[in-house]
Amino acid sequence: MDCDIVLVGLNHRTAAVDVRERFALVKHTDPDTWALPLGGAIHESLILSTCNRVELLAMGTGDVAEQMLRHWAMARGAKVEDLKPYTYSYVNDEAVRHLFSVASSLDSMILGEPQILGQLKQAYRKASACRATGVILNHLLHKAFSVAKRVRTETAVASSAVSISYAAVELAKRIFGTMQGHRAMLIGAGEMAELAATHLIKNGVDEIVVANRTLAKAEKLAEFYRGRAVPFEDLARHLASVDIVITSTGSQEPIIRARDIRSVLKARRNRPMFFIDIAVPRDVDPDVNGLDNVYLYDIDDLKEVVEENLSGRREEASKARQIVDEEVAAFAGWVGRLDVQPTIKELIHRSRLAEEEEVARTMRRLGRTDDATREALEAMAQGLMKKFLHEPLSYLKEGDRAEHSRRILAIQNIFNLDRHCASRFNAYEDREEALRRARAEAGAKASRSCPAAAGNGEGKLCSAGMDGLAGQEG
Amino acid sequence: MHPLLSPETSTLLTLALYAAAGLCGLAGMIARSRPVRSAAAAAAVVGFALQTFALATGFHASTSGGLSIGAYLQMLAWFLVLAGTMLRIFMKHNAPLIFAAVAALMLYGFSAPALEAVVKVPETLKAPFYALHIGALFLSLALIGLAFAAGAVFLYLDGRIKAKLGLPAFIADMPALNILDRINAVATVVGFPLYSVGMVCGLFYAGAVYGRTVTGDPKEIISFATWVLYAVLFHNRLARGWYGRKPARLMVLIFILCAVSFVVVNLFMTSHHSFART
Repeated sequence: MDCDIVLVGLNHRTAAVDVRERFALVKHTDPDTWALPLGGAIHESLILSTCNRVELLAMGTGDVAEQMLRHWAMARGAKVEDLKPYTYSYVNDEAVRHLFSVASSLDSMILGEPQILGQLKQAYRKASACRATGVILNHLLHKAFSVAKRVRTETAVASSAVSISYAAVELAKRIFGTMQGHRAMLIGAGEMAELAATHLIKNGVDEIVVANRTLAKAEKLAEFYRGRAVPFEDLARHLASVDIVITSTGSQEPIIRARDIRSVLKARRNRPMFFIDIAVPRDVDPDVNGLDNVYLYDIDDLKEVVEENLSGRREEASKARQIVDEEVAAFAGWVGRLDVQPTIKELIHRSRLAEEEEVARTMRRLGRTDDATREALEAMAQGLMKKFLHEPLSYLKEGDRAEHSRRILAIQNIFNLDRHCASRFNAYEDREEALRRARAEAGAKASRSCPAAAGNGEGKLCSAGMDGLAGQEG
Repeated sequence: MHPLLSPETSTLLTLALYAAAGLCGLAGMIARSRPVRSAAAAAAVVGFALQTFALATGFHASTSGGLSIGAYLQMLAWFLVLAGTMLRIFMKHNAPLIFAAVAALMLYGFSAPALEAVVKVPETLKAPFYALHIGALFLSLALIGLAFAAGAVFLYLDGRIKAKLGLPAFIADMPALNILDRINAVATVVGFPLYSVGMVCGLFYAGAVYGRTVTGDPKEIISFATWVLYAVLFHNRLARGWYGRKPARLMVLIFILCAVSFVVVNLFMTSHHSFART
């Protein structure tokens, strides 16, 4: 019987936020509380739960998807029928493609956002630490990380700013190069302005100067940014010492005009200034942008930059999808080669046995002989077997995945090999068996503290300590 | 001398390295890859070392026979990469060096047909001031060339940022406006004194050779006009804090005058400075 890679999940496209909240598995990050039960249909598993998606990935046999849904619904105290309409399910190549797309942030709400890769890595770390992943998922996840890296390196899907505050900081970098050695001023307050200020600090701006009509508010904000507060009335005087100005006041009239900035520029010997005007109505007179070495971006300008960057990312996404397709094919090739491995192993094993038997028989016939004769005989037998096996082994290795089953069967019939070895992944049986034993031990330990595990009948191994859950996406 | 160490082999390797620097630079810009751009800069530095070797050995071998205009162009190419290397160290940005390597490659291309006509430097022109005159002017010309490129990029980027037109992805890793302006500042603060030294040496030289410092030579006139514009830029940068578009525009104008002086006067006009083709 063949194993399948199955992915079941829901995301921001298939489920509204209230549904995502209802079926989130964030609380199940603790291995002692719940995870996908291993054993039975499911051999390996991983759970990714972020604010934009919940995805369950498993490798197993039989009706894996149904079992995953059943456990998922049960964990959230819901019925499968309530959950199913919001979910999608992918098997084998499609599951791999989806996982690669998720890792590369091609399936994210904000295309190219970087957090999802970290969240997937975290999910994998936990799953792996709990021995919930095996040969297949380990390889699949490592491949997913390398695909994500390739996408980031070879395409510009994650290269430009797609939030207003980040776009403002990126623009500041185009003007000043580095934020080190530069000062920023925050006039007024507001979520977006404060976010931009935070980005500036993260990028190394020297100091944040805060001006507010209420000095106490300015002082509070300055304390938060470890900057300094200045009285709103002294704004013009302090403008000369700052390079970046973020304004977000509730003023109905512009508070900064071109004539004010002319004198400021003179005082600062024409060093450039960048105004980020997030206020509506605007705080900075648009004429300011007409001055040499002064750059003014209002909220609409920044939105346009973001929109342009997003459309650039969308264009790059098609290149990224090609990379994903290539890697899916490569992974399928790897899985296909796993199919033939047990047959190859068995064939070589049989040939070795035959070789040893024949050498022993000949040695008996020859009677007393020296070591040199024995070695020569062994070498001849090995050489013959190698030559003899060359064609069937090449025959097995060639061809695509669909061809492999037919070829495996043909070789098994010709050489009368054990059919059992045709089962996919059996080449890893020994290792898997060792893992299962380890899981059973872990399960026995966990069942003492995990009621769900204790009640996990039908000889299934409790997965306590085997889940892999992530933090938040976005 | 081992054939691999010959000036000809070194020159060929230099050209290959400058070409590699240009190609890697372009690829690094399009692919937005810092390691590729760093490889481009490394190729340019190795090329510069080889060119230094080739010029030192080749130049030494041919000085007795005089120099062609092709050799002068190759010297200018060397000064250009020298200036690019200086700016690379000072600005910590690979762009000036990669640009210098590409420009040097082009100068080598122009120099090829003009290498054969080796003309002896007239005895009258052999004076201690000669090396200083050429060296100071060539280094300042190299700085002007790089500042011109930086100025052109500045004007383009500044225009796009001001007009909120967005920046194409392939120029996203170009130096920021601040860095481009600093290239202009260095070319002004370092280049103008060098240019002045070169001019003064030339005047002394003319006085010694022709009996009068001002001879009315076309090169003198155009160089004086360049010097005046350069002085305006120098003064305004230092005294009035010029920044951005104004110095960039003026540097473009200075470069155009230098190019006219170098190409038109040296190649197409009768001048004391066209001796190399006579």
